Amino acid sequence: MNFVWQVLKEQFLHLNLIFRLSIYEEKGKYAMHYLGALWQILNPFIQIGVYWLIFGLGIRKGSPVEGTPFFLWLIIGLVPWLYISRTITQGSNSIYAKVNLVSKMHFPVSVLPTIIIVGNSISLIPMIIISFVIALIYGIFSGIYLVQILYYLFCLYFFLFALTLLLSTLTTIIRDIQIMVQSIVRLMMFFLPIVWNVQNFPELFVGILKLNPLFYIIEGFRHSLLGGHWFFEDLPYTIYFWSITILVLTIGSFLHIKFRDKFVDYL
Amino acid sequence: MNPKIRFMNVSKSFSLYRKQSEKLFDIISLKKDRDQFFALRNISFEVNEGEAIGLIGLNGSGKSTLSNLLAQVIPPSSGMIEIKGETSLIAISVGLNNSLTGLENIKLKCLMHGLNNAEIDQIKSDIIEFADIGNFINQPVKNYSSGMKSRLGFAISIHTNPDILIVDEALSVGDQTFYKKCLDKINVFKSQGKTIIFVSHSLSQIEAFCERVMWIHFGQIKMFDEAKKVISDYKKFINWFNLLSEKEKKNSRKEMLDEQYKVELIPSNSHIQQIKRKSKKSNVAFGIQILVLLFVVILSASYMLL
Repeated sequence: MNFVWQVLKEQFLHLNLIFRLSIYEEKGKYAMHYLGALWQILNPFIQIGVYWLIFGLGIRKGSPVEGTPFFLWLIIGLVPWLYISRTITQGSNSIYAKVNLVSKMHFPVSVLPTIIIVGNSISLIPMIIISFVIALIYGIFSGIYLVQILYYLFCLYFFLFALTLLLSTLTTIIRDIQIMVQSIVRLMMFFLPIVWNVQNFPELFVGILKLNPLFYIIEGFRHSLLGGHWFFEDLPYTIYFWSITILVLTIGSFLHIKFRDKFVDYL
Repeated sequence: MNPKIRFMNVSKSFSLYRKQSEKLFDIISLKKDRDQFFALRNISFEVNEGEAIGLIGLNGSGKSTLSNLLAQVIPPSSGMIEIKGETSLIAISVGLNNSLTGLENIKLKCLMHGLNNAEIDQIKSDIIEFADIGNFINQPVKNYSSGMKSRLGFAISIHTNPDILIVDEALSVGDQTFYKKCLDKINVFKSQGKTIIFVSHSLSQIEAFCERVMWIHFGQIKMFDEAKKVISDYKKFINWFNLLSEKEKKNSRKEMLDEQYKVELIPSNSHIQQIKRKSKKSNVAFGIQILVLLFVVILSASYMLL
């Protein structure tokens, strides 16, 4: 557990640094664009529109999912997914991209993936609020179930922290992994309940898909905003999610601490 | 006087790989029988507070490796390093982001050093004033000349207020006027009782500025004494070396380099052994932890599927 504590401690000690740098980076991202920060909202909406056209109107012919209008159902799954996919691809490259800049100074390298996680949240949080408003427009209010959103956000951040820490270490040592991550992320969208409802598939198949921890998070967002389920109702799944997350975090922090001194050498 | 910097039997070796695949193999395998090159071997010395130390030696003698160790940018392969206070390394290739403008680089580097916005606003004008590169401050760094880059890098590093300043040949690209400016600034640091390590090939610069000089020769300290003494001996050596015939020069260089490939038994003291034992223990604990987690994962997964 030593390695995990050490990495977590570094995050808490440098919280100020993380927030300042992520705000700086996010500002810089759209500095050259005329529409500026508006792209943070516009960009996801264009993607949502495309998926809605293809899967909602095209394939499903506009039929609702388990009583929920497809557009709303899609948005609630797609908003966290757009954040997840962006954060995984950028986060896994974060150390490699910055190692040049930090190599001549004292800098806690383990906060680099966290900066991406925090920076991307700047567009995630308004998007969640927008999807909540859209749910209200459709006349759906999940009531007390909405509290769960805080739990699932915590799951989301914790899992992404563990995963990007592991991947950013691995991609710095072995560059091929970065390309692999990009392809897997692109593919994975179709193995998650984002654009189609996987509950219609055979039970064993759904069970296997559920082994992906991201499945737990996406479903969780739907449970919070549409209501109907509590996270503790499916206890084995919750235990599975947390044990695999902590496993990834343990391996990630072990490798990170073992190899971070050598990052400069691997370039 | 209490020592600010203390090196005890410090060595730094680099593994040499012929192919990319060897590098990967080295990560996975536990045996360490790669070709090793000792950039520094069994270096021990102390530096006191408020001293200015010069660092001289031929190309490839290990000066930059030593300054990187001093800045704690790279860890030593063996031995102990004790450094009290914040260090700042100023090198020619200081990490600047090429696509950002000079001003943005100042902000980014200061943020990375942990300063907040108010502090940055305070020193920003000082840095711009010191770098003195005119309107280029609003241009992307990729358009800078090498002189401008080093001026900006130097200006940023020196304004982060370090306790120990390591200048690695950074001044050799600036012109005389900038050099004078830097020297004045370094002298201010010196009068504040800060420690300065000065790496340079210009003996006159070192002689004018440093009290003690360390001469590094193929990974080892050849001399570490008063500036005058070391510099005169170093000059004698250079003259002697230049008088050799081409063949003799080559031979003596080769002899010294071969020496650096030899793996030397590192004197293992009880402290290092203790660290080793500790890391072994934590590795076992780590293994158990992974197994337990794996067990829980498999158990809950099979419960979900069946």
